[in-house]
Amino acid sequence: MPSGKNSKAVRNARKTSVVNTRSTPWGMIAAVLVVVLFAGGLSWFLVAKSNEPSFTPSDRNQDPSSQIAGVQTIKYAGGQHVLPTQQVAYTHSPPLGGAHDGYWAACNGIVYPNPVRQENLVHGLEHGAVWIAYNPDLVNADGVAKLASKVQGQTYIMMAPYPGLDQPISLQSWGHQLKLSDPDDPRIDQFIQALRLNRYQYPEVGASCAALGPGQFDQDNPPPFVPTPPTSDIDNKTVLDENVGNPAAANTDMGGGAGTGTGTGTGGGTGTGSGTGTGQ
Amino acid sequence: MTSADVTHRDGPTGAEEPPGPPPVDGPSDDDHDDGREPRWVRPLLVVGAVVALLLLGGAGGLLLGLHNATGDLVAPASDSVDVGFAQDMSTHHQQAVEMATWERDHTTSPELRQLSYDIESTQEAQIGRMQGWLALWGAPAQHSGGYMQWMVGAPAHTHGPTVANNGLAAMPGMATADELRRLRASTGTDMDVLFLQLMLRHHQGGAGMLEYGARYAQIPEVRNLAAQMLSSQTSEAQYMTQLLTERGAQPLPLQ
Repeated sequence: MPSGKNSKAVRNARKTSVVNTRSTPWGMIAAVLVVVLFAGGLSWFLVAKSNEPSFTPSDRNQDPSSQIAGVQTIKYAGGQHVLPTQQVAYTHSPPLGGAHDGYWAACNGIVYPNPVRQENLVHGLEHGAVWIAYNPDLVNADGVAKLASKVQGQTYIMMAPYPGLDQPISLQSWGHQLKLSDPDDPRIDQFIQALRLNRYQYPEVGASCAALGPGQFDQDNPPPFVPTPPTSDIDNKTVLDENVGNPAAANTDMGGGAGTGTGTGTGGGTGTGSGTGTGQ
Repeated sequence: MTSADVTHRDGPTGAEEPPGPPPVDGPSDDDHDDGREPRWVRPLLVVGAVVALLLLGGAGGLLLGLHNATGDLVAPASDSVDVGFAQDMSTHHQQAVEMATWERDHTTSPELRQLSYDIESTQEAQIGRMQGWLALWGAPAQHSGGYMQWMVGAPAHTHGPTVANNGLAAMPGMATADELRRLRASTGTDMDVLFLQLMLRHHQGGAGMLEYGARYAQIPEVRNLAAQMLSSQTSEAQYMTQLLTERGAQPLPLQ
């Protein structure tokens, strides 16, 4: 019986409260408004965040440099070597990939004061380094110092002047190039972030930037720059094609593509195929 | 007591309680309109609630997307292709590092010194990646028991060997203890040739594992590294074949 009394009291109380809510429920309206504003703000923030360009490589963003205006890309096979006595008839100036000397240029934050043999520098690109080239006649001392500050104390980046460069500055990584004129251009840092050690874009993941010294590549006394021979000089003895020794047969044999880049540019990404993990 | 609770919580159905005086509870709240709540309020609240739910759902989806964009951090199972590949390829690489380090320290050929340094440093760095993954996944650095059990049931079209359920005693391409002893005992061009022969066979023997890992690992990062190893070792194998030819020597047959 006490329960009956209680329920009666509650019913009466509820009746009162029901009457109150029949007036415009400003509290409820305000609560819904707050939730709508919160959800809207959160959505807006997240949409803005997901649209802002990221220059960090990831599985879904394997070549962030595609978001940088002016970057030129070319696919080259890795691992094509020439001898120190040979030259490569590169078709781009400066070269951004292709056959190269078996001895790679030291590329751990080295600022070369003088132009260096490009066949060695290209091998540094194959190891994941970025090469900042500049025309010494078109960039003043301040500009050179600014560029050098992006290299010194860093790894997998190097800088060397390039005589006859048609723009003040040219950035290279394996298969990528960006020419520009202003050392303060924000695209310089974007290019470095997008492509230095980008494991989807260079052939030899894990390779070193340290040189072995005299007898191989001596960073304190590097082989000097030699102008690129014209492609008409290619004789496959002293002057080689930039795609020399790229045996198409190996691609079919190993099924993985011998370092030939693919559309979105993974060095051997063609081998990843369907890849629907079958956890055996 | 229970009945009382139920009564309290029920809505307008409280009217059905038999003993209560009917006039008090009789009229349901729903149609009792005293005209103080404007007609637009309920639709507005409903629409507002729906919009809020949609926005929250969308935001949740975006959050998931952002989370996944940073990489799927779910650890693969201990018997997965990913774990088995990282463990066995670490071991396979270790022997290449051992042979390359020996060659770099003892050869007199500048190009072989450079090649062996390249193999040594590259494969050492790749071991570091794979061992780092295994640590983050909470998996053992090495698998005990037979090798390549993660490749059991490999489709016939892959290059790898047929692996029995309990695995293999040795991975393809691995040098025997006796072959390593011969490498350490040799000098000059003989050592260079033996090094090239052993390393070339080592690369060729590992290709089946690389191909399988590049295709069947779950984690994109693992598939990418396997594919990168396969392509760079393929061109390195061609280079070693060329160096062997220049020295008038032949590759060893694959076991």
